[in-house]
Amino acid sequence: MLNMRLAKRMWVGLGVLLLIGGVGVARQANAQAVVKIGQIEAQTGPTATYGWMSSQGAKLAVKEINDAGGFQVAGKPYKLELIQMDTRGEPREATVQFKKFMEDGVKFVFGPFLSNVFNSIEPIANLHNGKFLMFAGATAAHSLLGTPNHDYLLHTFNWDSGPSGFGTLMVAQLKKQGVKRVAMLFQNDAFGKVAADIYSKLFKDAGIELRIELFEPGTKDFSASLAKMAADKPDYLFPGYSDAVLYDIVRQATETGLFKKFFIVRGSIGPALKNKDAIDDYMAYVPKYFESAEKTEKATSKFIAEYKTFYKREFPYDQAPLCASSCYDHVYMLVNAMKAAESVDDVAKIKKALMSTPYDGLWKIKYDETGEVIFKFDLVQVKRGGAISVISIDPIK
Amino acid sequence: MSQLVIGQLLNGAIVGTLYAILALAVTLTFGITGIVNFALGAFMMMGGYLTWYAHDSLQMPYAIAVVAAVVAVGVVGLVTDLCLFRFTRNNLVNGLLVSIGLISIIEAGVLIVWTATPKDLAYVLPGVIEAAGISAPKIKLVVFALLLLVILGTYLALTRTWTGRAAFAYAQNSEAAALMGVNTAALESAVMVYSAMLAGLGGALYASLYSLEPTLGSAFILKAVEAAIMAGIGNAIGALAGGVILGITEGVGSIYLPIAFRDAYGLVFLVAILLVKPNGLFGGKS
Amino acid sequence: MNYKRLLAIAALLFPLMVHSESILAIGIYGLLAATLAVSFNLIFGFTGQLSLFHAAAFGISAYTTAILVTRFQWGFWTAILPAIALVAVLAAIVGTICFRFKLREFYFAVVTMAFAELARLIIMNWNDVTNGTLGMTLVAKPSLGGMAIDSSVAWYYLALGLLAVTYLVCAKVVSSWIGRCLEAIRLNDALGESLGINVFAYKLLVFVLGSVLAGLAGSLYGFYTGFIEPNYLSITHSLDIVAMVLLGGIGSLFGPIIGAFVLIALPHVIDLGAEIRIMLYGGILIFVILAMPGGITGIRSRSKHAA
Repeated sequence: MLNMRLAKRMWVGLGVLLLIGGVGVARQANAQAVVKIGQIEAQTGPTATYGWMSSQGAKLAVKEINDAGGFQVAGKPYKLELIQMDTRGEPREATVQFKKFMEDGVKFVFGPFLSNVFNSIEPIANLHNGKFLMFAGATAAHSLLGTPNHDYLLHTFNWDSGPSGFGTLMVAQLKKQGVKRVAMLFQNDAFGKVAADIYSKLFKDAGIELRIELFEPGTKDFSASLAKMAADKPDYLFPGYSDAVLYDIVRQATETGLFKKFFIVRGSIGPALKNKDAIDDYMAYVPKYFESAEKTEKATSKFIAEYKTFYKREFPYDQAPLCASSCYDHVYMLVNAMKAAESVDDVAKIKKALMSTPYDGLWKIKYDETGEVIFKFDLVQVKRGGAISVISIDPIK
Repeated sequence: MSQLVIGQLLNGAIVGTLYAILALAVTLTFGITGIVNFALGAFMMMGGYLTWYAHDSLQMPYAIAVVAAVVAVGVVGLVTDLCLFRFTRNNLVNGLLVSIGLISIIEAGVLIVWTATPKDLAYVLPGVIEAAGISAPKIKLVVFALLLLVILGTYLALTRTWTGRAAFAYAQNSEAAALMGVNTAALESAVMVYSAMLAGLGGALYASLYSLEPTLGSAFILKAVEAAIMAGIGNAIGALAGGVILGITEGVGSIYLPIAFRDAYGLVFLVAILLVKPNGLFGGKS
Repeated sequence: MNYKRLLAIAALLFPLMVHSESILAIGIYGLLAATLAVSFNLIFGFTGQLSLFHAAAFGISAYTTAILVTRFQWGFWTAILPAIALVAVLAAIVGTICFRFKLREFYFAVVTMAFAELARLIIMNWNDVTNGTLGMTLVAKPSLGGMAIDSSVAWYYLALGLLAVTYLVCAKVVSSWIGRCLEAIRLNDALGESLGINVFAYKLLVFVLGSVLAGLAGSLYGFYTGFIEPNYLSITHSLDIVAMVLLGGIGSLFGPIIGAFVLIALPHVIDLGAEIRIMLYGGILIFVILAMPGGITGIRSRSKHAA
C-alpha cells in the first residue's frame, strides 16, 4: 500500500517538476547580445511540406550569419537565435507557442504559412501590435495588410492577383492561347477556398469559363472527379496545390487521356517531367526554377552547395521554391534592416528600413507600400517530350 | 453517362481491394487476438516507403522490392507483437491505444528518414487497356488481380489447411482449441505477423499507383475498419466484399453527389447496414 | 484524499502565482481538456461505452454558439442554451440508434465515429453558415455580471468553474443509485437487463449528459481561442480524449483530470526536434498503457479493494 501511495506522489511530483522545468527553460532569456527570431510553422503533420523548407532555409541563414561572427548594429555585436516551433497545423498549439514568443520578447516572427494557423493567432497578434514584426506567408494575411492594428504584419509570399500578380499574368497567357474553358480541382480546405475565390475572379475578368470542384484533402484516387470534369471538355486542368496531390492528379489525368494541358500555381514541374510524353502543355508558377537557376545564378549555386554541406543530404529541388517565403533571404533582409535602422528593437524603424530597401539574394525582393512582398519569379512551361522553357518575370521595375 | 458509371464501378472495385486487404488484416487480428490494430495503416505506409526506397534508390526490380518490403514489414510486425501487442491480447482499448502510440513512432521515424516531401515511385507498368470506351491503367488491373489472389488464397488457407482451421477454431473458442493441441501463443503471433505482411503488401502495391506521404496510413485504416465492420468482423470473404462495396460506393457516389463529401457516402452506407444487420452483412453469430 | 484537496487549492491559487501568459494558456487548455476527459469517462470508464462522438459534441456546440453570437448577435450565455440543446438532441438520436440496436463495443465505437465524421463533413461544407474550412474568427468576449471575460485570469477561473461543475455533476451521478446501475451495465449489460435495469435508458442518459458537458467545454473553448475550424470535430481529438483518460486512470473521475493536464502540457515541455517530440509522445502513451494499466493515479476500477 505504501508503495502505491509513494508511486502516486512521485508521479504527481514529477509532473509538477516537468512543468516548472519547462517553464524555466522557456523563460531563460539569454543574457548575451542576441536577437531572437521565432519561427512558427507546421514541420510535421499532413501540412508539413509548407513549413519544412522555410525551417531549413532560415536555419541555414542563421548559421551562416553566426559563423561569420554575427553582425553589428549601432556599434554593438549581435548574434541570431532561431527558435523553431512546430505547430503541426493545429491552431491550439500555435496560439500557445505564439504567446510564448511574445513573453520571451521575440520581436521577429517568421511564419505562419498556413492560413488556418494565421487566422487563429491573428487576434493575439493584434494585442501585441507595435511590439513585433510578423513575416507571414499565409494567403489569409493579404487582406489584412495596412488595416488598423496590423502594423506588425508583412506578407512574404507573392500575391496571385494584383497587377504584378503571377496569377494575373498566367491567366493572360492562357487568354492569348485562345483558351475558353478551364476545370479547377482543388483541396477543400482554407487555402482551396481562397484560391477558388481569387481565380474565379481572375478567370471571369479574362472571359474564360471556370468550373470548380473541391475534393476532400487526403484523396488519392481522382478518377471520379476527373471523369466528371472531363465531360464538358475543358481546355486546361487547374489542379490543387502541393506536389503531394499533383503527382497523382497529373498521372491519373493523363493515363486515361482525359486531360493533356495543366495550369499550376502552387507546385513543382516534377509531375510534368514524370509524365512528359503524355502532356501537351504544363504551365507552372514556380517561385524559382532552381535547376536552371543553379547554372545561371551565383547566389543559387552557393545556396545549394551550402545546403548540401550543412544538411548532408540531397538538395530538394522541388521543395526549394517554397523558400521564397519567410526563409533564407528574409533573415538577411532583417539583419540589413536592423543595421540601417541602427536598432534591434525599434520595430517601426526596422519595418520602415525593410520596406524601403529592395534586396537581391536568392530572390530579388521588394516590399510595396502595404507590406506585400513582390519578388522576381519564374513561369515554367513544359511541353510534350519534356522541353522546358523558363520565363523570368521581374515585377520590380 | 453510363460509361462514367461503369468506369467508376471498375475503379471503385480496384480501390476497394486495397481497402479489402487491409480490412482482411484488421479482421484477422480482431478475430484471433481480440484487438483492432490501427498501426496496420502505418505498416501499410511503411510497406509503400520501403518499396519505393528499394526500387528507386536501391534499383531493385519492382517485384523484388515488393517482396523485400513485405518481409521487412513482417519482421516489424513480429517485433511489435513480441514487445507490445503480446501484452494487450483481448484488451480492445489497450490494444487500440498502444497501436495509436505506435503510429506516432512509425510516422515520426519515416519523417526523420525520408522527410515530408512526397515520394512518387518510378512508373512500373505504364499504359492503359481500352475496351468499350473505358480505359483502365494496366498496373491497376495487375494490382487488382494480385490482391484478389492473396485474399482468396488467405480464405482458402483458413478453410482448407490445418493451420487455417486451427485459427478458425481458436477464434470460436480459444480454450477448446488449446485443449485440442493448438499452440495458441504461436498462433496469435503468427496472425499478427501475417496481418502485418498483408498490410505491407497493400502498401507495396499502393506505391505503384499513388504517391506516398507519411500520413497515408491513417485514412486507409479508417476505411479498412469501416469495411471490416460493414462486412462483419471475422470473415475473410466478407472483408473483400466490404472493401469492394466501400470503394464502389465512394466512386459512384462521387459521380452524382459532390466530391467533397466522398468519405461520407461510405459512412452513411455503413450506418445503414449496421441498422439492418447489427453484426455486419455477413456476420452471423453474436 | 489529502492530495486531492491540495491540488484543488493549488488550482485555485495558480493564476495568482504564475504571471506567464503562455503558462496560463496551458492551464486553461488543461482545464477545458479535463472537462472533456471527465465527462467522457462517465460514458467510458463508468458505463463501459467507447464513444468516439465526444469531439463532435464539443465542436457542434462550439459552432452553434459561435454562429448565434456572430451572425445573430445573441449574447454568449443565451447562445449556449440552444447549443447544448442541439448537442443533447443529436446525442439522443445517435445514442438511440446505437443502443436500440444493441451494437456491441467496437461496432458502437465505429458508429459514433461515423456520426462524428458526418458532422465534421457537414460543418466543413456548409460554407454559408459555418464558413467551411476557413473557420470562424470570434472576436466577441462573453461577460459575467457586467465584467467582460477577456483576460487570461478571468478565463482561467471560468474554465475552472466549468470543470468543478462537471466533476460535481458526474460525481453525483456516479455515487447515486444510477451509478450502481452503470457499474452493472459496464460489467455485463445482458445480466443487468435480466436484473430489471433499463439498460437502454441509462446508457442513453449518460451518453447525452456526457456529450452536453463536452458541448459546454466546446463553447468556452471556441471563444477563448478566438478561432474555430471543422478539424475540432476530427476523430483524432476524440482519440486524444481516450488517451487522457487512460493515462490518468480509468477507474475514477479524478484520474482523467491528471491525464488531461499531462497530455496538454507534454508537447510544451519536451523541447526537442519536432519529430522526436512525436515519437516521445507515442512512446510515453505506450509505456503508460503497458506498464501502468491503472494510469498515473493507479486507479483501475471503482472498487475500493487494494489492486
